[in-house]
Amino acid sequence: MGVLKVFKSLVIDSLDTITKGSVKYHIWMGFLTLVMLVGMYCYSIQLDEGLIVTGMSDRVSWGLYISNFTFLVGVAAAAVMLVMPTYVLHDIDFKQAVLIGEGLAVAALIMCLAFVVADMGGPSVLWHMMPGIGVFNFPNSMLTWDVIVLNGYLFINISIPFYILFRHYQGKEAKKSVYVPGAVLSVFWAVGIHLVTAFLYQGLQARPFWNNALLGPRFLASAFAAGPALIILVLAIIRSFTAFKIPDKTIKKIAMIVTVAAQINLIMLISELFKEFYAPTHHSESAYYLFFGLHGKDALLPWIWTAIPLNVLATITLTFNRFRNNLKILYVCCFLLFVAIWIEKGFGLIVPGFIPGPYGKIVEYLPTGIEVGVTIGIWAMGAFVFTILAKTSISIELGELRYKDKKSSGAK
Amino acid sequence: MSESKKRYSLDLGLNKNEVTSGSCGCGKSQGSCNSHKEEELSPDEFYEAAINASIGEERHRDGFEQVFDVKMDRRTAFKKLTASLLIGAGAISSCTSVVKDADSKEKAQIDWEEQFKGNYKLMTDEEKEGTINRLMRSYELRTGNNISMTAENAEDDVLFGYAFNISKCQGYMNCVSACVEENNQDRNSEMQYIRIHEMKDGKGLKFDEADDNYYHEVPAKDHFYMGTQCFHCDNPPCVEVCPVQATWKEKDGLVVIDYDWCVGCRYCMAACPYDGRRFNWGKPEVPEAEVNKNQHYLGNRLRKKGVMEKCTFCVQRSRKGKNPACVEACPTGARIFGNLLDPKSTIRWVLENKKVFRLKEDLGTDPKFWYFMD
Amino acid sequence: MLILVLSSCKKEGEYHSVSDKVEAEGKPYHGKLTSDELLAGTELIEITEGEHTFLIPEREGQIKSFACIECHIKPLSNMKGLNEKKAHWDIQLNHANGEIMNCITCHNADDMNSLNTLTGKNININLSHKVCAQCHSSQFEDWKGGAHGKKVAGWAPPRASMTCVNCHNPHDPSFDTRWPVQFNTQKAIEREEGLDH
Repeated sequence: MGVLKVFKSLVIDSLDTITKGSVKYHIWMGFLTLVMLVGMYCYSIQLDEGLIVTGMSDRVSWGLYISNFTFLVGVAAAAVMLVMPTYVLHDIDFKQAVLIGEGLAVAALIMCLAFVVADMGGPSVLWHMMPGIGVFNFPNSMLTWDVIVLNGYLFINISIPFYILFRHYQGKEAKKSVYVPGAVLSVFWAVGIHLVTAFLYQGLQARPFWNNALLGPRFLASAFAAGPALIILVLAIIRSFTAFKIPDKTIKKIAMIVTVAAQINLIMLISELFKEFYAPTHHSESAYYLFFGLHGKDALLPWIWTAIPLNVLATITLTFNRFRNNLKILYVCCFLLFVAIWIEKGFGLIVPGFIPGPYGKIVEYLPTGIEVGVTIGIWAMGAFVFTILAKTSISIELGELRYKDKKSSGAK
Repeated sequence: MSESKKRYSLDLGLNKNEVTSGSCGCGKSQGSCNSHKEEELSPDEFYEAAINASIGEERHRDGFEQVFDVKMDRRTAFKKLTASLLIGAGAISSCTSVVKDADSKEKAQIDWEEQFKGNYKLMTDEEKEGTINRLMRSYELRTGNNISMTAENAEDDVLFGYAFNISKCQGYMNCVSACVEENNQDRNSEMQYIRIHEMKDGKGLKFDEADDNYYHEVPAKDHFYMGTQCFHCDNPPCVEVCPVQATWKEKDGLVVIDYDWCVGCRYCMAACPYDGRRFNWGKPEVPEAEVNKNQHYLGNRLRKKGVMEKCTFCVQRSRKGKNPACVEACPTGARIFGNLLDPKSTIRWVLENKKVFRLKEDLGTDPKFWYFMD
Repeated sequence: MLILVLSSCKKEGEYHSVSDKVEAEGKPYHGKLTSDELLAGTELIEITEGEHTFLIPEREGQIKSFACIECHIKPLSNMKGLNEKKAHWDIQLNHANGEIMNCITCHNADDMNSLNTLTGKNININLSHKVCAQCHSSQFEDWKGGAHGKKVAGWAPPRASMTCVNCHNPHDPSFDTRWPVQFNTQKAIEREEGLDH
């Protein structure tokens, strides 16, 4: 079978590609592997002793893992920002960036799933969640919706780039009739994954901090700021380390997206702050805790007061064309924005949801070393996966990897 | 060996390979997730491996550790893998050379069946009987002691309700300790289902200013006391959100958990507005002498790490017609328990004749736990 | 997708709330669960107060020095005096104050085996709640209905309630302040250690 033969050769070739590279590349991959091993070691301790090794407790029952999960769903959803103009609106500027964006989405989704698994008390019985052999509480539980949309999105984001790369690998053009419907679907799907993830929290009447209609839209806005910001940074790195040509124009267009999304995000933030602090009820206590601390408990203050100024500063700077078009300033702003949203949507969203508790009890949360180790390990895994995906697809896009001249590329 | 017959799974038609690989829908493809590696083993090989692994582990286990933990940690996973590789290589010719005695083999058999049984909620009565017999047998094999575990279903025409008299409660906390003794909660984490909130007179129900961790002579001057626990909501948000239906509302109104089906995602905990749920962050431990041996599958049987648990209105007692341990222990008679469907029950008289209220009624959870005053 | 969303709408239960359900499905319980077995070891008597009929523990058999007339062979007034044997030194009356109550407010001075009402009517010791009910009428109402006091055994019928004197010492009826019970908590351990010093 021809396709299988090509596939086999693609696998061999890409294995070849990802194991060869510059010294810097090897150091990078070696470093990631080391970090992953540390993460795995931490996870093995967690498996052995239970979640007691984390900073979570009955009062704050979700922490760093779920925070990162929430944030990364947003990053994954952001790939759509590139998919839409490229595939649907035929905007040629994004073409080079889109494969990178989708690779990022795949890496982010894998990290999401890893974070969810890391957060589980009984990973060995996760098969209970498999439809068919387990019991899948669909459609009642939003978590089952999330499982469906995340895996579906992962599938879409693997299959579309794979199809395009597979065609390019054989030196053929990808057929629009095949991938455009998939791309259109992924656009809606991306909105879906983030909205569903927001609903996960939004639907809990027990937690007034989350149970607010703005949560879903705000998730989308912040995702479409943080995701493309990360893509810009990644593109900048790829530009400087590989022969892959990404014109300034592409980066500037993505920067435009980041700016608009960050502005909308800021408006929603103001709206939220107004509601919480203009006419505070006891439902505003979580927000008070987050921004000012309650009864002397103020562990989140340094975080949120780092995030808010960074967010405001980056958004305002990006608003001016002159600054945005200066790539150095742009990169700095993207980095600030990324960090700010990571804090705001991770720690700043999940932890205050539990503080104060249902009866007003304030118990603070601080992640333990093991939790941090697992988290960093999973991030390293994401970077590892992304590096592999990006390296292969860049090689194919640059024409270094072709089915026909397999022999010569293999000898390289 | 036809495990499919003994395995109390929902989907008997599926083979084991699919079952095992199911536990690894994760990104942890680097091998931290044990069952991932086992995918390639045939069911029989895996079975042998599981036996070896669990026996090795069992020898140095404490009495109260739950059997099912066997497959959960990483060391065992490696052991299992090594064992299975050995089998695969033909290094071990027969299982009898590894399996030391019949007891160990039986233990492994029980572990295996317990690991792959189905959701209790969907079990037939025979299946329920099967699992409690296995659990009792496994406890006997591990500790040499017998426990009595039952699986009574909800009675017809029974709906449990609870009323709490704020005027009567003096904060003695007899209920709290009776609950811990009855329900085999983890001793290390000092887990308690009931919290008694000490509130200041004249401030109203100010939970955020209340102290639920007091330790001084009670009743303290100018204070009143209010107990909270799982309210067994008629519209429980925790049940809605569970991704695997490991928690549900029984016909008699009890909100229960199948500890063996819970995956430990803690979504229910986030969804509960009443702080009614507890999680086993570490391995729960109860000294053998303190274990309450009258158990119910859905109630006070010993839990394992990484699962939720909560007040069940002492299902092991209430389904036998008894009062929950907290009601029985209360020295002031502040706690009233009974059948809401029986018009002649005392709980009905309280609801009809006292000024009752419930907490956070605006959330629409419809708790079956009322407060009243004299 | 639309179908998914529609099907995800929560199934409305049969009843709007638990009180509707209770009202609709409530009927006298005749299930197989009873407290009979749990009550087997307790001597009970059936009483009817107003519209409530239920069981209370028998009292006479529980009093160590019953029957009283074994000592109280003559009326109380004749037993006062220095020559008689002293008795009941352990009883300190701490119930209302001396102006309102003394022994014979409840005990029948002429028939020591019985209690008496304020108007002097004899009341069997087993029915002591009738004596209490004279003053504590609101508590009595609650007790009859089941809002005050404890059950003897379980929730299942037949109803057997503790009577007043099962929880309250009639000579000293109020509850004392004391330390809360602690089981398996760090605080309890610390306190025990503290007491050792």
